[in-house]
Amino acid sequence: MAGLRQTRTLFSTLTTTLSKLHVSRTPVVTTVPTISVFQPSRVGKYTVGIHTSTNLHNLSEFFDDKKNWGEQEVKVGRSWKKDELRIKSNDDLHKLWFVLLKERNMLLTMEHDAKQEYRLFPNPERIDKVEDSMKNLEDVVVERNRAYWMLETGETGERPTGVITDELGIRRRRRFCQYFIPSWMHHQKKETVHRGAAICKFQRLMREKNFLTKRRYYRRVRGHVYMLWRRFPNMNVEALQRQYPEVDVRLLQKHKKARGHHLQNEA
Amino acid sequence: MSTRFYPRYYLGNPQLRVFLPNFVMKLIKPPNPQPPNVVTFIVSTQMTKFDIQNYLEKIYKVPVASINTHIHMGEIKRSKVGGYLIKDDDYKIAYVTMPKTETFEFPDLYPSEKEEKMEKEMEQIKLLQKDWSKKIQQHKHRPGMPSWFGA
Repeated sequence: MAGLRQTRTLFSTLTTTLSKLHVSRTPVVTTVPTISVFQPSRVGKYTVGIHTSTNLHNLSEFFDDKKNWGEQEVKVGRSWKKDELRIKSNDDLHKLWFVLLKERNMLLTMEHDAKQEYRLFPNPERIDKVEDSMKNLEDVVVERNRAYWMLETGETGERPTGVITDELGIRRRRRFCQYFIPSWMHHQKKETVHRGAAICKFQRLMREKNFLTKRRYYRRVRGHVYMLWRRFPNMNVEALQRQYPEVDVRLLQKHKKARGHHLQNEA
Repeated sequence: MSTRFYPRYYLGNPQLRVFLPNFVMKLIKPPNPQPPNVVTFIVSTQMTKFDIQNYLEKIYKVPVASINTHIHMGEIKRSKVGGYLIKDDDYKIAYVTMPKTETFEFPDLYPSEKEEKMEKEMEQIKLLQKDWSKKIQQHKHRPGMPSWFGA
């Protein structure tokens, strides 16, 4: 059990810095009047308002602000964009992630309670905004990770993938993972997996199905092109060929099915 | 994704750390009455008890004494249109016991003052609607007549 505990212990101690957050929930631009306490030349008229999250670290963080309880509408800003996140430091992104995580937990708690009480949950798009922000943040982190790996090792550092033949004999791309035992030490050889009678039968049927699907598709395209030739005999051949590269348009034009019964087609 | 892909852990290796945890915890009203120091959560199904404890202690700074969890099976019901079966997602419920000194009571998220205010507003709207419909009745046979002609 101790080993398990060690393997699954979460979260670095970096979260201890959460109490001194200087990141607002959503980017809000507020007008701040110029005060001569600072050097007046350096303080702009419009600055980004610095919000400090409350120092409350307890279960009340699972609920919205008290003033929003029972409201019909809660107005919030927009989600974080990637470009805004790219100029932040890793430390800031790490802190922001936990802000967003708490915000999402709060919103989901409020939504759940609203559902239980048959009440209105105001502005449910807040959840989407937070999730959008989280996705953007993670994308930015992945970008940085990839750049670092490329610089240091020449590889992307992503999870390796490859095309393999699976148990049903179908070729597909799979994401690889690590094993404690190397593949050459495994008891079961990989070549023997898809050789059984049932698998052979399945593959045969699968091939037949694929073939029929493909044939049906070509047949449909061909019929469509016949119909086009019949209705518009003076069509641009190159343009038609470009649109339907699966079939030979010139060949189909000579076919009986491509000839209409109009006067201009009688020759 | 590289941020969500962790190498296998061998005994003696440096500890694996989750830098961007994306677990979800919802604080819910307990389905059955609980002691005052017990909090009920719906958590991500893949979370273990250690995960829950670390999550609460490190992120929310909530002291944890013990945790009980179980996975609740989602409801299976029959579709009213097609007659086929529909199953909701499973979810994990965690009963987190805090030390005896701590207490928690689920707050009333819909205060009665705001309810009364809303009701008053609704009454106003109903009055206005009544007036409006009365006006419409008066001008029933004069469609398109501007209001500045008088009643």
